[in-house]
Amino acid sequence: MQRHLEASGFATVTLSWMPALTRRVGVPRLAGISYPLSRPLGRPHDADGQRAVLEATLRLLDDAKGPDHYVELPFEWPETVAEVRNASKGVPPAPIAELLRRQPWLVPRLYTGRIRL
Amino acid sequence: MAIDSYRYVDFATRQIMKAWAARQEPGVIPFTPLAKPLRECTVALISTAGIARRDDRPFDQEGERRDPWWGDPTFRRIPLGTTERDIRVWHLHIDPHFGEEDLDVLLPMRRLAELASAGRIGRAASTHYSFMGYLLDTTELIEKTAPAIATSLHEEGVDAVVLVPV
Repeated sequence: MQRHLEASGFATVTLSWMPALTRRVGVPRLAGISYPLSRPLGRPHDADGQRAVLEATLRLLDDAKGPDHYVELPFEWPETVAEVRNASKGVPPAPIAELLRRQPWLVPRLYTGRIRL
Repeated sequence: MAIDSYRYVDFATRQIMKAWAARQEPGVIPFTPLAKPLRECTVALISTAGIARRDDRPFDQEGERRDPWWGDPTFRRIPLGTTERDIRVWHLHIDPHFGEEDLDVLLPMRRLAELASAGRIGRAASTHYSFMGYLLDTTELIEKTAPAIATSLHEEGVDAVVLVPV
């Protein structure tokens, strides 16, 4: 998506909590952040924290001089990994996770790219 | 890279993420320089959280439950001023309650408007966008959804886009 929009004439930047994956796609500007999934800008109702993250991300638009511009933002999440997982323990596993748990021999199919039934 | 992309995710998600990463080939990376200073730019946001207004069509979760290899590749427009009271988050791979409690943790439209008021950007676009990011097959996303969003961005005079995967 980002590559398509950039090629369509927009300057784009991604804020990613999984920068290793996003960078594999090959994107022009990438801000990595060590925050958990499901709330990439920060905690609910923490307006100051969210604004600081967004502003730091926007700064890459001005600063990048060429593609694959990668910056790791200095923000730290205030909870432990255990606390983060505990906060979402009521969320059921995704259908694909449930399927692969029942039929682990299907895992290699994730790697082939031939995922259409 | 100091950030551990797998820090907060469970074992199954980690496998899916690593398999997906292994299939990517970066190739030549496009680059469009910012046409004018950021303080004069119109900025739009795109979230992969599967956000839809309550008066709009939900993302298709039944289809994914029937075929877990499939994800809904369509997108929804989210007008500026939409709040958590107006939306649902349709994504089976995240915890939707944070975004339904405060939409700005996924699609920071209020924060963007504040930065516009403070003169950091020119203005927040009148429309923002969301699609649902669990797409093992991105064909339709790239061939249909991305061009449709690009057309809409052009029509609204957007200069720069912030993408927020979830």
